[in-house]
Order: sequence, then C-alpha cells, then structure tokens
Amino acid sequence: MGITIQDLDRLKEEAGKKVTTNWIRVGYSTCGVAAGADVVYKELVAEVSARGLVVEIKKCGCVGLCSAEPLVEVNVDGVPHVFYGKVTKDVAHKIIEEHVCQKKLVENHIYEI
Amino acid sequence: MKRILIQDTNGNLRKELKDFMVALTTQLRDRGMGDVTQVVTVADIGVYQKGLVAKIFPEGFVYTGLGLGHIAEIIEKTVMNGIKVDALAFDKKDKQMRIVLRNCGRIDAESFDDYLLCNGYQGLVKALEMGQEKVIEEMKKSGLRGRGGAGFPTWMKWNITRGVTGDIKYIICNGDEGDPGAYMDRSVLEGDPHSVIEGLMIGGFATGASNGIFYIRAEYPLAVERIQKAIDLCYSKGLLGKNILGSSFNFDIEIRLGAGAFVCGEETALIASIEGLRGYPRPRPPFPSVKGLWGRPTVINNVETLANIPYILLHGGESFGKIGIEGSTGTKVFALTGKVRNSGLVEVPMGITLREIVFDIGGGVLNNRGIKAIQTGGPSGGVIPEQFFDTPVGYESLQKLGSIMGSGGMIVLDENDCMIDISKFYLGFCVDESCGKCAPCRIGGTQMLAILTRISEGKGEADDLKQLNEISVAMQKASLCGLGQTAPNPVVSTMKYFADEYKAHIFDKKCPSGKCASLVSYSILKEKCTGCGMCARICPVSAISGSRADKYTIDKAKCISCGQCFDVCKFGAVVRE
Repeated sequence: MGITIQDLDRLKEEAGKKVTTNWIRVGYSTCGVAAGADVVYKELVAEVSARGLVVEIKKCGCVGLCSAEPLVEVNVDGVPHVFYGKVTKDVAHKIIEEHVCQKKLVENHIYEI
Repeated sequence: MKRILIQDTNGNLRKELKDFMVALTTQLRDRGMGDVTQVVTVADIGVYQKGLVAKIFPEGFVYTGLGLGHIAEIIEKTVMNGIKVDALAFDKKDKQMRIVLRNCGRIDAESFDDYLLCNGYQGLVKALEMGQEKVIEEMKKSGLRGRGGAGFPTWMKWNITRGVTGDIKYIICNGDEGDPGAYMDRSVLEGDPHSVIEGLMIGGFATGASNGIFYIRAEYPLAVERIQKAIDLCYSKGLLGKNILGSSFNFDIEIRLGAGAFVCGEETALIASIEGLRGYPRPRPPFPSVKGLWGRPTVINNVETLANIPYILLHGGESFGKIGIEGSTGTKVFALTGKVRNSGLVEVPMGITLREIVFDIGGGVLNNRGIKAIQTGGPSGGVIPEQFFDTPVGYESLQKLGSIMGSGGMIVLDENDCMIDISKFYLGFCVDESCGKCAPCRIGGTQMLAILTRISEGKGEADDLKQLNEISVAMQKASLCGLGQTAPNPVVSTMKYFADEYKAHIFDKKCPSGKCASLVSYSILKEKCTGCGMCARICPVSAISGSRADKYTIDKAKCISCGQCFDVCKFGAVVRE
C-alpha cells in the first residue's frame, strides 16, 4: 500500500526528532573508501563507544575535495565546525581524543572548504 | 576559546611560518591569552598564494600576507576584543554553488530520513500537484539542458515523449559515465541516490512513463549498491509502485548494468545494450523519444540532469533560470583533475571563468609550475590554452573555442605536458572504444593514431598535418554516432592552438615538453652532481649507477626516458636534451 503526502510529512517530522547536534561525518564514496575511509570509520566508532561518548558517526558521500580524502567533518559543541583531511587511523584517534574530548583542534589536518 | 588557524599558502615560507608561530605564542602568553587561545597549523585554509594566512575563530576573519609586525595588532584587536583588522582582512568568497551536490557529503546516502530532512521528495509532491503540462512548463522556464554533454533542452525531450501516444513509455537514467577523469555522476549516485530517483520519478510523471531504468556501469559497484538500497527503501516505504502519494501515477524502477563500453553512453547503443543486444548505435531518426527501448517512446537523461530536477520543482524554474548565463543556466559539476592542487569535484554557476575554477577553487597548478592549457569534454572535447581562461563557462562559449562542456571532465595540463602525447592518449581511448560498426570511425581513428604515434617517435613527415586534417573532417562528417564524430576533436584543437609543438616534433625531431620518450635523452652533469643518489633510487629500471665520490651516470642503453630523475634532482644536475 502506498503512502500519502501526509504520511511523507509525518515521516519527515519523526526524522527531525532524531537529529543530533554532535556528529562526525566520514566521506564514504569511492574516493574516500579507496583512500582508507573504512579504517578511519571503524576507529572513530571504536573510540566513541570505548569512551561512552554521545556522538553520532555517519557514513556520507563525497563533498568534493577528493584529493584530501579520507575526509572527516566534525561538529561538536564548543569547538568550531571543521573538516579534517588525509585522515589516518592515528589522526582519527586524535580527533576523538583532542577535538571531541579536550575541545582542541587537531594540528595539520584541517581543510577549510 | 579563541582559535587561530595558520597556513603558509605559498608553500615556501617554512622559516617564516615557524618564526611567526613562535612569536605569536610568546606574545599571546605575555598578554595572558595563552591559555584561552589555541594556535594550530592547518593543511589548507582555502586561500592560495597570499603568503602566511590566518583564520580566527569564532569570528571567522581571514587575514592574509602576515608578518611578525602584525601580531601585536591581531592580538590587541581580534583576539582580545573581537574587532576586525581591516588592513589585513581578506574577503574569501565561495565561488562554488551547490545544487546537484547539495546533499553530497552532508547526508547518509543510505538513510531515507536524512533525505527527507533535506526536503526530499517534496519536488515530487509539487510535481504531482502541478500536473504534467505545468511541470514541463516549469522545466522550460528553468532552461535546463542535458548535462551528459550534448546540452539538449530537457523540457523539449520530455515534451516530445509526452506527445507520443503509447501504452508503455520508459525513462532511463544514463549512468554510463566513461570519460577518462570524469566521475561526477558516480559521486552523485553514491552520495545522494534519492535525488536522482526523485528526478527520475518526476521525469516519469511528466512524460507519462511508468517504467524507470537506471543504466549504470558495473565498474561502479558502490553506486549500484546505494541506488539499489535506495530503490528498496522507496518500495518498503510505499513511495514506488502503484498510486504514488495518493495520485494516479504508477512508477517502477529497476537497474541494468553496463559492461563498461564507452559507446553505450550513446543513447541508441545504450538502448541496444539494455535489450540484450550488442552495444551498437543505430542511425537516427527515429529518435528514442519517439521509438526507443523495445520500440517504445523513451526518455534518456543523464544523472546530473536528473539530480537538478527536484531542486527546480521545489524552487521554481524561474529562479533556477536566473543562475548562470543566457543559454546556459544553472550550475555544472566539473571533475577537476590533472596537475591541479585540489583535485576533486567542483560545482560552479555557469558563466564563471575557467581561471576562477582552476586558480581560485582549484588552488592553481601543482608544484607552482606554469599552466599550459586545460582539457574539457574528455575524448570528445579539446584543449583550451591559457589565453582563453577568462572565457565564461557555457555550452556555446566552450564550443566556440573548439572544445565542449562535455560531461564535465576538466584536466589541467602544465608545461611538462606534451600536446601530441595528450592527443595520442584521447585518440587511443576512442580507437579502443570504437565499436567498429562504421568505417570512418574504425579506420579513420586507427590511421590518425598511427600518424600521431609516428610523430611522437620522431618519424613525422611534412605531409602528416594535412593528412590528420583530412581524416578528421571525414570522421566528423561521416561517422555514425557521436563517438566517431567527436573523436578527432582533441587532435584538431591541439593542432589549432599548439601548431608549433607539432612542427617541433615533425621538423626538429624535438619534444619541447620532454614527454615523448623517443625524442629526449637524459644525462647527468658531473660538475653539478652532489652524489646524493636520489636519481639512482627513483630510477625504475636501475639505469643510474655511481657513488658519492664518483658521482652518478645514466646508462643510455637501459634508460627509458621517463624523466623521473630530472624531476627529483634538486641541483639541476640532470639535463634533458
């Protein structure tokens, strides 16, 4: 059975309730995956759950800066919203340790786009 | 907390950057601001060739051309009081405009909720309310033209199919992206699959087609996977199938995989491929809009075209038509690659200049080399030399320069790129991909490639240029489909703009860029060689030997003239002749 326009609005409203303000997006298109987004994603998820943090981690598409993949976009309270490029497992670790926990930007990996 | 982001945007100010950082942290500490300010060096600040550049958060001010003398003022005004230092401020404008890529990278491609929150499927709702005629009217106002390369007005395509009576009609999304270096469609399919599905549904509704087909090449497994997941989600939510959103509109979608033949991006060959036949084009008319898949009226739209459609419906054709320039409205996504600093996807409004794309968005040429040209339109396009970089981007303006907009590949060529080599590459691609059905393409392409190969090997003859010209004209005029008609374009345009390079190869037996291996030889100057051994380490065929005391030499019998030693030597000891 198909849905109606009202159903669509209701679904949208419900989706809106789940939106969080603390999130991390990982570029997960072919360009990102080829550059190692998989390892980065797993590290971020592992670190967040090990520390019991409330940060949503999402697999997203390509924002366009393919030469800087894997690209990780971080938006958490109290720190400017930034993109980190050429992220490795170590950098992913630092993103959680320094950016998310200590509220400090990570050196040498920020890409302003 | 204040944050100061710093970058050396020239790439050669290492010492200056270090001194600046030391002085800045010291002075911040002296002023008692050390603990509440974080200073970080960043990888890319989005501004290029402006010396030391800083961006200060939370204000977001960008300061360029910084020196030690500016530190006190920056701390005093901006860090302590949040006031802008006007003399240093740089107005960083974002020259990109995201319509097609509006959700790419921002949403989880596999989440239905994420797409809904970005006004997903609201364009479809609007289309269903407006009715077929008004949707096509809206598309006409928008001026949207096919983004696959040919630039045929989308509304016209839709209108023709709508006007044909038939029991079954098809709408196909052409995801057979094959230009070397172009991957916009892949990115959209992977990053925002629902927007393409929504575009396809709106197109189906407007033309009266109840069957949608995604034709995607099998080399794009992730794109296929995400589109399939998105289609499945739509079915499970009840958005596809019968009586969509309570209307009388029925629509089903399936995926067909292409095996990767370039010619299958051509409409009639694509249809043959879906029908299970060999991917051969056929003469038109009848056009697919009237008689296409299984002999039924069929609309074929490119991925990028379809991704534009929900936006147009939602924001109105008129407002979309105001973006860009006359005749070329909206935006275009380019895959910027080659010798450019920031390779990747850029989406720009039509009418922007090539210079802005390459230098302001792309960050200029890699390693600060000189730029020679850019190649647009892939194997069907041509090169545009630097003197035309101020041309606004549009379908007609690029055509006037002997290139085309194409599907959106844009390859930056620097002074080390040889135009004969580039033409050889593109022509070689078309020769490989020619289906062989018609003689001009099959024989013409092979002959042209043979001549170009001869030229690049130093065996060119005076008559070659004339022959290349004649075969080009024959191919352009007599080939059956777009592949053969446009295959000579890279050769024609390089011959037009870089005639001197052709002549140097043919008459002087020299390759000015040092790319054609048969025409260059490398040697090492003993008096300049420091014996560091970098060249010997990078040589892929171990043709270089020596020691710190004896210096290094190249064994010419082994050398393949790849030029890696030339690039790696920091002392100018490797010479090219």
